[in-house]
Amino acid sequence: MLAWILHRITGLGMIVFVSLHVISSFFTQEMGSDWAIAINTVYESIYFQFFIVFCVLYHGINGIRIIILDLWPRMLQYQKEMTWLQWLVFVPIYGLTIFIMIQKLITGG
Amino acid sequence: MKVTLKIFRYNPETDKKPHYDRFVVEAEATDRILDLLESIKNYQDGTLSYRRSCAHGICGSDAMRINGVNRLACKALVKDVGNKVTVEPILGLPVEKDLIVDMEPFFDHYRSVMPYFVGGEENPKKEQMQSPEDRERFDDTTKCILCAACTTSCPSFWASGEYIGPSAMVNAHRFIFDSRDQAAAERLKILNDQYGVYRCHTIFNCTDACPREIQITKAIGELKKAIVTARLD
Repeated sequence: MLAWILHRITGLGMIVFVSLHVISSFFTQEMGSDWAIAINTVYESIYFQFFIVFCVLYHGINGIRIIILDLWPRMLQYQKEMTWLQWLVFVPIYGLTIFIMIQKLITGG
Repeated sequence: MKVTLKIFRYNPETDKKPHYDRFVVEAEATDRILDLLESIKNYQDGTLSYRRSCAHGICGSDAMRINGVNRLACKALVKDVGNKVTVEPILGLPVEKDLIVDMEPFFDHYRSVMPYFVGGEENPKKEQMQSPEDRERFDDTTKCILCAACTTSCPSFWASGEYIGPSAMVNAHRFIFDSRDQAAAERLKILNDQYGVYRCHTIFNCTDACPREIQITKAIGELKKAIVTARLD
């Protein structure tokens, strides 16, 4: 059930990000208002970036797992192994991405 | 060892809302939760209400939430659940009293999938043969005891009681993939509904909850594929 809950949370996370981005872009362009720029700083913060990368990667990889299970129902009896495999794919990709983000933050790249 | 049980209580005649009662029972590690409930009912509080019949994991009467997980009280041992046990009725069905729920909505869904054999000829002259391989195809789903542990562990069912639920689909699977049965198309049509197979989001709670270890999500996956491809592989 954890995978299902995380899939919903990460989906909502992406909706929040895209909505904030659209709202802030619109108001920045139309009015150049300060609070529109303030919204910009929310999703440009490094913590939000860590969160959104988690959302995109987890949602994508979990989605691939669900598609595989839907297309090949025989795989459904190996769902636990599939979930572990999913984490095995997710952790190195997410870890490497976070490493690069922190490295760029420190070096100012 | 002493086991503390926190049990969901609700008497519609006297209680405005449900509450929990605590009981302490002397038990062996190999005792079943049903043994503890029997002990409480016999020696501490005779008003405690729950369903039980065979007490050997066959009749499916005593499915309940034990420490947050749907299990049969007659199959859950003290050593597996610990010495602090919370017992609640299964979720998603109306509570009638204490641990007893109204199973009628569950059986309505069960009846809706035509859970009976539909043969070809009305009065066949000889028995219909089936190869061991064809029998094996639906062997897993013959094991269902209709305890409702799967359906009431499903978040989609919690969200909407109209969802047909895993158990009804397991029983549909049992006949749809029977090589002798003639009503597969009709059953698949029933399941091809917004409250049918599409409400299954592969959460796997049902598979984890099943006391007969039926691969329920796999069975539902096979039904989804049969509906999409119009083939019974």
